[in-house]
Amino acid sequence: MTLTAGPPGSPEAADLHAAEQETVFSAQTPAVANTRGPLGPKDEELQRLRSLLFQREIAFIEDLRASLANPAAQAEQVSSVIAEALLLRSRQDDRLSIALEPLVDSIVRDALRANPEAFSSALFPLMGPSIRKSIAESFRSMLENFSKSMEMSFSCKGLRWRFEALRTGKPFGEVVLLHTLIYRVEEVFFIHSATGIDLMHVVNEGVDSQDANMVSAMLTAVQDFVNDSLANGKAGDLETLQHGEYTILLERGPAAYLACLVRGTPPANFREQIRSCLEHLLMEYYLPLSRFDGDTSLFAGSRVRLERLLASRYVDEGQPLPLWIKILLAGFCLGLLGGSGIWKWMDYRAQEQLREEERERHGLRQGRYASIGLLRGEAGLSILHVEPDENGPWEVFCLKDPLARDPLEVLREHDIDPSAFLFRITPYVSYEPDIVRQRVQKAILPPETVSMEFSDAGVLSLSGTAPMEWTLSARQTALALPGVRKVDTGGLADPRTTQLMSMIKLVEGTVVEFPSGKDIPVHEDMPKLTLAVETLVKLESLAARMGMAASLTVFGHADATGTDKRNYEISQARTKTIAAMLYARGSSMPIAMYGMGADYANREKGNVEDQASRRIEMRIHLVRAVNPENDQLGK
Amino acid sequence: MITKKICMLGSFAVGKTALVQQYVHSIFSDRYLSTVGVKISKKNLVLHDQEICLVLWDLEGKDAYTEINISYMRGAMGFFLVADGTRRETLEIALNLRTLALNLTGPVPHCLLVNKADLSPAWEITRKDLASLREGGLIVLETSAKTGLGVEEAFAVMAAGHGADGPGGNIPRGGKE
Repeated sequence: MTLTAGPPGSPEAADLHAAEQETVFSAQTPAVANTRGPLGPKDEELQRLRSLLFQREIAFIEDLRASLANPAAQAEQVSSVIAEALLLRSRQDDRLSIALEPLVDSIVRDALRANPEAFSSALFPLMGPSIRKSIAESFRSMLENFSKSMEMSFSCKGLRWRFEALRTGKPFGEVVLLHTLIYRVEEVFFIHSATGIDLMHVVNEGVDSQDANMVSAMLTAVQDFVNDSLANGKAGDLETLQHGEYTILLERGPAAYLACLVRGTPPANFREQIRSCLEHLLMEYYLPLSRFDGDTSLFAGSRVRLERLLASRYVDEGQPLPLWIKILLAGFCLGLLGGSGIWKWMDYRAQEQLREEERERHGLRQGRYASIGLLRGEAGLSILHVEPDENGPWEVFCLKDPLARDPLEVLREHDIDPSAFLFRITPYVSYEPDIVRQRVQKAILPPETVSMEFSDAGVLSLSGTAPMEWTLSARQTALALPGVRKVDTGGLADPRTTQLMSMIKLVEGTVVEFPSGKDIPVHEDMPKLTLAVETLVKLESLAARMGMAASLTVFGHADATGTDKRNYEISQARTKTIAAMLYARGSSMPIAMYGMGADYANREKGNVEDQASRRIEMRIHLVRAVNPENDQLGK
Repeated sequence: MITKKICMLGSFAVGKTALVQQYVHSIFSDRYLSTVGVKISKKNLVLHDQEICLVLWDLEGKDAYTEINISYMRGAMGFFLVADGTRRETLEIALNLRTLALNLTGPVPHCLLVNKADLSPAWEITRKDLASLREGGLIVLETSAKTGLGVEEAFAVMAAGHGADGPGGNIPRGGKE
């Protein structure tokens, strides 16, 4: 059996389709199918054939139909793609926003009607600044137009237009308005603020434009330059650049800005259009802008919106205006002139008074801030926060080191009335060098012979002369103080050390000579020996006071005459003379005695009598005392 | 299309402007450098089938160590440091500028161009100096404005986003996600 199906729309196809529908229908609702009458044997055959051939398809179509009829399933399907779909469409063109606009509008209206409080509280923080900005903008544009008319009255072009007004019988103001209404937006740049990179650039027909990337970078640089060099970044942003008949209008947002190159004078509401366009762009491209990495292709969709700004307006000068408009315009101009004169004068008076009061208040504020500025320079005093009060004393919250000066005292010193301030002081430990220096001074109490240096890095350097025990204790104390990181006592000398050294030098420099075979020194060396011994006694006690113990080594020598044995004996005996003298003076200094006999050199020379060889020499050793009592020097 | 803002930093008269003059396109005259303190030029190149536009901000050369125009550095996606091989102090200034610039921009690709390679016998900066800088992870290229040596390589290095932060730190920026 051959089944033929005609092209879609052909009678055969329609027939087949109807039959198929019927089959499906009858499978579901046989009762309803039966109302159409019993099926003929031919129909039954056809139906069986269909169900044999298209069983799977029929089931699939049935599933599809069921899911289409189920709103919950449909909603689920749509929900998985709706966000992407909206995003895709909004990138393609602005039909979506146009379609949604009335809907959103009515939703917002209904919501507003239902719960106006919620909206007003949500909008409140935004309304104030917006209203202020809008009023300021309206005034500015009104004054711009007004001053343009005034300016035109006296310029060369103005005279030409005055002649035109005379010639055509139009009021002068009208001629000015007509002429200034001509404008053409030639180029619009959408620029990334931080990098100055051009994200999108649109050009009006027939305009010969420069390289957009370079222009937008330079435009950004120029704004930075103006901000940095003229206004120091404080006077807001550059809004307009004027060159001959060209104006560049700049509208800034947080991440990007728009620059419109306009030939002629744009209408006052044009800035409003730019602002609105920028707001939309900032919203649409919020993510690409905040993660901008140089890929400008992401902003291709902004073209449509930017092109809407490429407006032109040409005025047909030949068409006369209706009389009532002329009268209205003339009346408006006169009213504006008169009204603005009076308004200006009254406003000036009121402003002047306000300014005077503000000047006074400003002076007072400046004075008080200057006083606080004085305190900021004070060591150990840190101003945390100031609560200015127009009508009373200012509360000043500060941290103060106990060593810092009282702020009230500082103010009095500068002839400032301290009652203008109320100090709330919290004590703290300051690490400022001046304060640390004072802290050290108080803690270590340096004697007059010591000078103190304290570096900003926290290094305390002590120099001069001081007893060693003071040095040790000062070092320990200073290191424990906040702000002291290191103590350098390299420049400190103990005066007793010098004394001790000179004593050692004297004793060690003393050489006592002896007559041949004797252990009593030669007569002329006796005073030298006595002095050395007395010095040793003093040295012993000074060393003890400084926490050290002194010990003496005496070397006895003999000449080369006589036997070696004898020479050793006599040289030993000579050392004992010193020991005896020392102990006789009450010393308890340990003494090591060495009889050296004849020197090797003398023995080489042979049996020669030589007084210089018969001598004793002394060496002193100092060691730190092990007895802790000796450390308590100065007692 | 990837567009990158690249700054050129260096001491006075190291040949920053001359270095790129023949290889870039600009619609502004050098007068801008002394008036506004910056001159913009542009270099287009293709890297791995990706069109890249480098917008070069040639910043006015400073003799002082400290001066760098913060506003002009804002948003920079890379920078060239230019030194004059015949004047050693320009290298120190360039290295100083590097620290200052990195503080402003964060770790972005940058490389040091030691210019006047055509006068290399008269160089005060030695190959040893450069070798130790390279060891420290800085990309160093020897260039000549006169012969054009190394200039195209420098642009390619910048376009590829090499030399972001020291050894191995080649963070490509501006690539498509």
